[in-house]
Amino acid sequence: MAHDEKKALVLPVSVVNRSDVGRLLRELKVLDEFLQQAAIRQPGSSMKMPRTSRFMDELLQANKLNALVEADRKALVQFIDDVYKKAPTLHMSFNADPSPLFSQQLVTWLRKEIHPYALMQSGLQPSIGAGCTLRTASKYFDFSLRENFKAKRELLVHQIQEATRNAQ
Amino acid sequence: MNIGELLLILGSLAAATASFIWMALRVGSGGGKAKTKTGDLTSQAEEDVEHIFNNEFREELRNRGRLHFEKIIGENAMFLQQDLRLTTSQLNEYMKAEITNKLREEFAKYEESIADAKQLAIESINKTQQALEQQRQVMSQQLAEELTKEKERVLQRFEANMADIVNHYVLAAIGDQIDLNDQLEYILADLEANKQAIIQDIKDGA
Repeated sequence: MAHDEKKALVLPVSVVNRSDVGRLLRELKVLDEFLQQAAIRQPGSSMKMPRTSRFMDELLQANKLNALVEADRKALVQFIDDVYKKAPTLHMSFNADPSPLFSQQLVTWLRKEIHPYALMQSGLQPSIGAGCTLRTASKYFDFSLRENFKAKRELLVHQIQEATRNAQ
Repeated sequence: MNIGELLLILGSLAAATASFIWMALRVGSGGGKAKTKTGDLTSQAEEDVEHIFNNEFREELRNRGRLHFEKIIGENAMFLQQDLRLTTSQLNEYMKAEITNKLREEFAKYEESIADAKQLAIESINKTQQALEQQRQVMSQQLAEELTKEKERVLQRFEANMADIVNHYVLAAIGDQIDLNDQLEYILADLEANKQAIIQDIKDGA
């Protein structure tokens, strides 16, 4: 991705996954088109205002941009389009559906430590007990309680053996 | 007295009679020189002989000879009877002794063969018993080893299964009891521990 060193845009943490980015991109494009149409419309003709989500508001607020300024809009569209196409997506599975706050906290860490535009795609895997599994482009990480139990299995077997021997 | 002796006695009697007759005749014919005297003597001798050896004398001789013969026969018969009885008794004794010895020998042999058979049977039984005892010991040892191995196998299966059961139980028991928000710190700790690997993978993928 091409980072604009002069003005590195920030992706809000509320934008968690690629679907959010896609929605944001569509909103930006619709907004851009509306404003372009508004500039050339006949005075007095009716126009339907496009709806924007909080993602848009947060995006504008985080980057201190004005949606009414065409250059800002273009930059945002380009930025979001780049994010949509090139940002790394980490697939993470949990034993329950993560809440938005949880997802944002996780994405905050990911963008701080891993990649500034990392996206997280969450999944459901109840059998892991607790923790999560992480799948990147070519690797798989198991951070689940189930895997932790497997790693500590020898300890459990040793404890059971000790208890069995003592019982005999 | 046997028949030979009897014949000997009869022969001696006949010889005595013949010698007597010969003597008589010789006496009768011995005076040949005086024939007349001799002739008279001869005729006288002949008359005397006839006079001596008359029918009664002959009969007497016959009777005596018959009696002597009967006596001899009787004595020899008695001797023969005694001899026969002695021989019979000796033969009986001999047969008795021989049969007794033979029976004793046969019984001894039979007893010996019985004893041998008994000894063989006892030895065979002892050998069989020893073999059975050895086999029992071997089987006991094998059984003990198998039991020990089986016990170890069961114990290992129990320990392995128990570990899985405990894991499954804990996961099932607490899996849905732990709030996801409470897991955040645990998840972030794991992510932090593997941060470099994740970053490298993203860079390689880009």
